Amino acid sequence: MISGLSRRLLRLVGLGLPIALASPLLLEVLAAGSLPQVQLSAGSIEPRPIEELTGTNVARDYAYAWRDLAQALDHNQADRLDAYFTGFAKDTFTQRISDQKTADVHVLYVDHGHKVKAFFYSPDGGEMQLLDKAQLEIQVYAGGKLIHQENAAQDYLVLMTPGADRWFVRSLEPIAGSSF
Amino acid sequence: MLRLTACLLLLMRLAAFGEVHPPAQVTAGKGFSISTTGSGDASFYLISPGHVAKREVKLGQDIPVDASDVKKAGRYLAIACGSGGCNSAAFYVMAAEPDKVSFFLHPSRVRVKSNDAINATAFVFDQFYNLVLTPVTVDFKVIPKTGPPIDRPIKSNLGVAWMRVASTPKQGPVKVIAEVGKASEPRVIQQVASDACNLRIKATRTAKAVLIETDPLRDCSGNAIPDGTIVSFTEIDGKGKTTVDVPIKKGIARTQLPVNGRAKISVASGVVIGNEISLGGGL
Repeated sequence: MISGLSRRLLRLVGLGLPIALASPLLLEVLAAGSLPQVQLSAGSIEPRPIEELTGTNVARDYAYAWRDLAQALDHNQADRLDAYFTGFAKDTFTQRISDQKTADVHVLYVDHGHKVKAFFYSPDGGEMQLLDKAQLEIQVYAGGKLIHQENAAQDYLVLMTPGADRWFVRSLEPIAGSSF
Repeated sequence: MLRLTACLLLLMRLAAFGEVHPPAQVTAGKGFSISTTGSGDASFYLISPGHVAKREVKLGQDIPVDASDVKKAGRYLAIACGSGGCNSAAFYVMAAEPDKVSFFLHPSRVRVKSNDAINATAFVFDQFYNLVLTPVTVDFKVIPKTGPPIDRPIKSNLGVAWMRVASTPKQGPVKVIAEVGKASEPRVIQQVASDACNLRIKATRTAKAVLIETDPLRDCSGNAIPDGTIVSFTEIDGKGKTTVDVPIKKGIARTQLPVNGRAKISVASGVVIGNEISLGGGL
């Protein structure tokens, strides 16, 4: 027995799949659409100015990092952190995922976007510090049951460092809004 | 009667539906208690950026939270799930006192007397490696091989303090230290001679050629240009132009050039051009 909603979904998939296969551009748009929105501003960054390409790459990689973090915390899979996390951030979230498994908890982040302000870029280009005002819907599940749900405007203090081909999140610390 | 029973059941359910009341703010690594309301058994979850803990508790009693459960700074969720459902509250754990400093010094080698050439960046952490967000004074000390040390106290902003300083005139190792309270991180940077200053050559006739050699090569602060630095000698004579690149050995660069007729010989090292000498006779 297929409900009305399921029938509509099947119809959408039926229509969408041939279009997607026929148009690589659309696939790209769909792929881009699955990333969290990140708006980066760097007007008051110091001491080193940020190059346009660097800004684009930082925003892109930060979006990928949040996509991976959300998947890692939802599915309790620490290996999803490998691509865009390093150092303290990776250690911290890996420990959390291990604890989540032990407690039979998983956390779903529905990401509604990030307004990110880069405020420190070291003179040698080795570290960048950012403040992120994130809009998140957080759902905590224990034993498969929803035990907490909230819409949170959460601020994060972020430290990113460059690697060979991308920027890594080295520290991602939720902070009280009054901290900045 | 039925309505009264339903109301009583609802009241009992509400009484069992425990609220959690954590303090608004806690310091990392310090235990505390979360008060609860209601009654009955409940599952208590503490969800932090880097740790998740679950245990069974009694509603209506304080829930002790161990210091080891709040090592990581950030936003925590305390959730209690009893027979009447779940209730939650958020609170923040702030970094403890500054205890460690992570120090980056760039570059590893720098020319003497260069403005803003030494870059130092320090991140201030507590003992649990949480960034200390309150402003803290980081003392940067630059200790050259010779001459007085330079002190630069800089206030941190959201956990980071940085400074730029000129390199000193003398070559050799320079120690740079970042200090926060008892935490001290030393780094060493190597200062090397700058470009050659007063680059001069002289010529001496030998049996088959002309021996060209520089005066001892030094920069404008008197530091010896390191051996291995390339010096280029260029000869222009009737046959055209010849360039010979020679590494400095024992502070001097020298070469032999065959000279036919009149010739002009010049010298350069890096961006510095030295004197030019003219030779009148052939050999």
